[in-house]
Amino acid sequence: MAVPATVQRDRTIEESSSWLNRGVAATGLIGGLVIVYLTAVGMVESFQGLNVLTDVLALGRTMVIITFLVVGYSAARRLTRQGHVAQGPRLAGGLVAGAVAGATAVLVLLAVDTIGVEHVRRMFQSFTANVVDNVLSFGQGVGFGALALLVGGAALGLAGAGLQLLPNRLRRATLTGLGTAIVVSLANEFIVAVFRNVESNFGLDIPLAWLYTGTGLAYSGLVVMFAAGFAVSWWRTRTPPEPETTRAAAMSGERSLWDVFRRGRPLKIVGWLALIALLVLMPLIVGQFLSQVINTVGIYVLLGLGLNIVVGFAGLLDLGYVAFFAVGAYATAILTSSASFLGGPFNFWVAMPLVVLLAVFSGILIGAPVLRLRGDYLAIVTLGFGEIARVFIASIWLQEYLGGAQGILRIPGPPLFGINLRNPQNLYYIILAFCLIAAFVAWRLKDSRVGRAWAAMREDETVAEAMGISVINYKLLAFAIGAGVGCLGGAFFAIQVGSVFPNSMDLLVSINALSVIVLGGMGSIPGVVLGAFGLVGLPELLREFEEFRLLIYGAVLVALMILKPEGLLPEVRRRRELHERELEEEQYEERVGEGAEPVLRAEAAEDEDKT
Amino acid sequence: MTEQLLVVKDLVKHFGGVRAVDGVDFHADEKEIVSVIGPNGAGKTTLFNVVTGFYGADSGTIEFDKFPLAGLKPNRIAALGIARTFQQIRLFPNLTVLENAMVGQHARTRSGPFGAIFRPPWTIREERAIGDRAREVLAFFGDSLLPYEDMMAFELSYADRRRLEIARAMATHPKLLLLDEPTAGMNPVEKHGLVSLIGRLRDERGYTVVLIEHDMPVVKNVSERVVALDHGQVIAQGSYEDVSNNEQVIEAYLGKKKAVESA
Repeated sequence: MAVPATVQRDRTIEESSSWLNRGVAATGLIGGLVIVYLTAVGMVESFQGLNVLTDVLALGRTMVIITFLVVGYSAARRLTRQGHVAQGPRLAGGLVAGAVAGATAVLVLLAVDTIGVEHVRRMFQSFTANVVDNVLSFGQGVGFGALALLVGGAALGLAGAGLQLLPNRLRRATLTGLGTAIVVSLANEFIVAVFRNVESNFGLDIPLAWLYTGTGLAYSGLVVMFAAGFAVSWWRTRTPPEPETTRAAAMSGERSLWDVFRRGRPLKIVGWLALIALLVLMPLIVGQFLSQVINTVGIYVLLGLGLNIVVGFAGLLDLGYVAFFAVGAYATAILTSSASFLGGPFNFWVAMPLVVLLAVFSGILIGAPVLRLRGDYLAIVTLGFGEIARVFIASIWLQEYLGGAQGILRIPGPPLFGINLRNPQNLYYIILAFCLIAAFVAWRLKDSRVGRAWAAMREDETVAEAMGISVINYKLLAFAIGAGVGCLGGAFFAIQVGSVFPNSMDLLVSINALSVIVLGGMGSIPGVVLGAFGLVGLPELLREFEEFRLLIYGAVLVALMILKPEGLLPEVRRRRELHERELEEEQYEERVGEGAEPVLRAEAAEDEDKT
Repeated sequence: MTEQLLVVKDLVKHFGGVRAVDGVDFHADEKEIVSVIGPNGAGKTTLFNVVTGFYGADSGTIEFDKFPLAGLKPNRIAALGIARTFQQIRLFPNLTVLENAMVGQHARTRSGPFGAIFRPPWTIREERAIGDRAREVLAFFGDSLLPYEDMMAFELSYADRRRLEIARAMATHPKLLLLDEPTAGMNPVEKHGLVSLIGRLRDERGYTVVLIEHDMPVVKNVSERVVALDHGQVIAQGSYEDVSNNEQVIEAYLGKKKAVESA
């Protein structure tokens, strides 16, 4: 238990300090710099055009407000970790940190005003007089703006600290409520589009005036969304019914309807039914354009599921996964396109088993030379194989067969009862079916003798071998099955686009597929789905933010990897591994709340003795 | 005379200029408990690694149950019935306790990817048998492993991790168990428990046990025969009393008598 011991030691050292310390100031300073940065890159001003709450609050100022709240919150949290139990110092810390953040912003604001905005603009082109005079100063002059930032910052810092003081469950619910309201507000364009689609497809009339006015939430919308988020979070964090009472109830055979309901079983069934309905009706709900986006998501789900077998299950870091994507896409093209050298002898359904077989074979082919490599070396060599695949496809030598830079055109959709499956809204169902099959295969493999052998190999190859596992066979098996699943992504990519080119087979495909599984949670199957939505779907949803799209996207990814290094929907085991320390800290914080300080100190001393 | 299970003849393993194992003759009889002792760097672990197939021998022969092991991969040797533990504990840390024991049975079971995906009745039966046997092996350690079958291996206490490593080796259904310093890092009580455990491994399970051990009281209590290695060569073997009073052995551990006296 080495890690917790050091945590404890840090704590005792920091405990001796007063609440007004460097940590609080640093938190404030960082917050202030964040505000300055957001202003300097022009986000605050651009987003002032997007209303969050009717026309009272726009996204530009909301970002500043949230920053202050976060500053206060993290200052108070930091103080808690340093052992400040009482509420006074934590609130005061939040206040001071907020004020420091405000002061930092004010200093820059005043400096800009003194130098003159037009001079600053030579370097920071997005700095405008408007953001200084109107957005931050409310049109009342810089002096007023400075005061507003300072006082407002301190007040919001205090509010943030206040949030941190709330009991765990209440705090979580409040934050979820606020988050829900903000997300619903930002996603207004998307949500409105979806509802218009539903209206036109199902002949319904759904009033949305209560939710949105213009581009922002209406007051009623704010209240409802906050309440919804709050209620869901409150429900989810409820304490499970006492084991004794349930057991007693089970023994006496008394299971009232309320008991069943309380354990959330009907809710689960309703949830599953809703999910199935959503999956079935998806293309009708989201419309043509978003169906295409979802199909792309589906392609990445297939790629992710395949790569997850290689990387997540068997622990073989393959950076050349695009090779299997290419095999899938080109095999489909050659076998089904009338423009290929074979003249497209097969339709999709006949070609598909051949494509998978070919991919399995290519998996073994690529797997065989890298059997002896481990870790980083494997990654580099497979990276090379990915590039080789692309160069190979683009080569003039094979132009006759693979089309070279001209690629292969005229790839037909899968024929099915005369329905036009090139239409994304119809193709969706085929992709969905294959995603479900692939997920099923992955799920079954994971929890089997094969899956355990892979897991053992991932954990410790040498020991796995000593346990009788043929590392060679199981590595090849992982590559073969991973390729067989992933090639489906390539096949549907070819069908969706209707043509294949060497340029589509670049490194980015490998990186995206890997990002999908890292984002979702290594080895987790639902994680792959969520990761694909986050990675491929999110950028589409962020279109509203125009040129800041990739900046926000990058920030979200970085934040996610810091806050949830195990991914969005991790396996239980990975979460336990990576959050061992935080779990302990959470318990510590909870116990601090109960005034258990002396006990903890004694425990800390004991831990030191042990190590 | 009892059957000789493992016979090592004139085994040599060099690493560059270092003669890690330099002409070792060694044998373990059926249902015997043998301790291998010797100072650090004497070649004990290398001997284990050659026997289990992790290193190829430079010369010499190894026969297990009259079957030559030369050139076999570790997984084949494990399948033949030699299981081992490691000097530094090497569990599968992010698998559960039960899964660790289940993995051990890999060589004794057969279902492949098709069985995994379609789950025919015989696969389901095999899975159930794997689980049962894993629990049975964990139960051998009383209450120290079985109640924690769903915990991650890395969450176990140090001594329990050592126990789980032995349990995993037992799950491979071996005839010969090679234990590399099984009591390292244990307290006296735990060491005592392990001595009786090793006895039980032989008496109840019928394993032949070869262990590398530094702790002399443990060696004394547990082993029927002691083999002392130094500089890759066998310098003494026999009963504990014989070996512990052997001049060469004392020299290997404490340095030459003259050197000690003149110091």
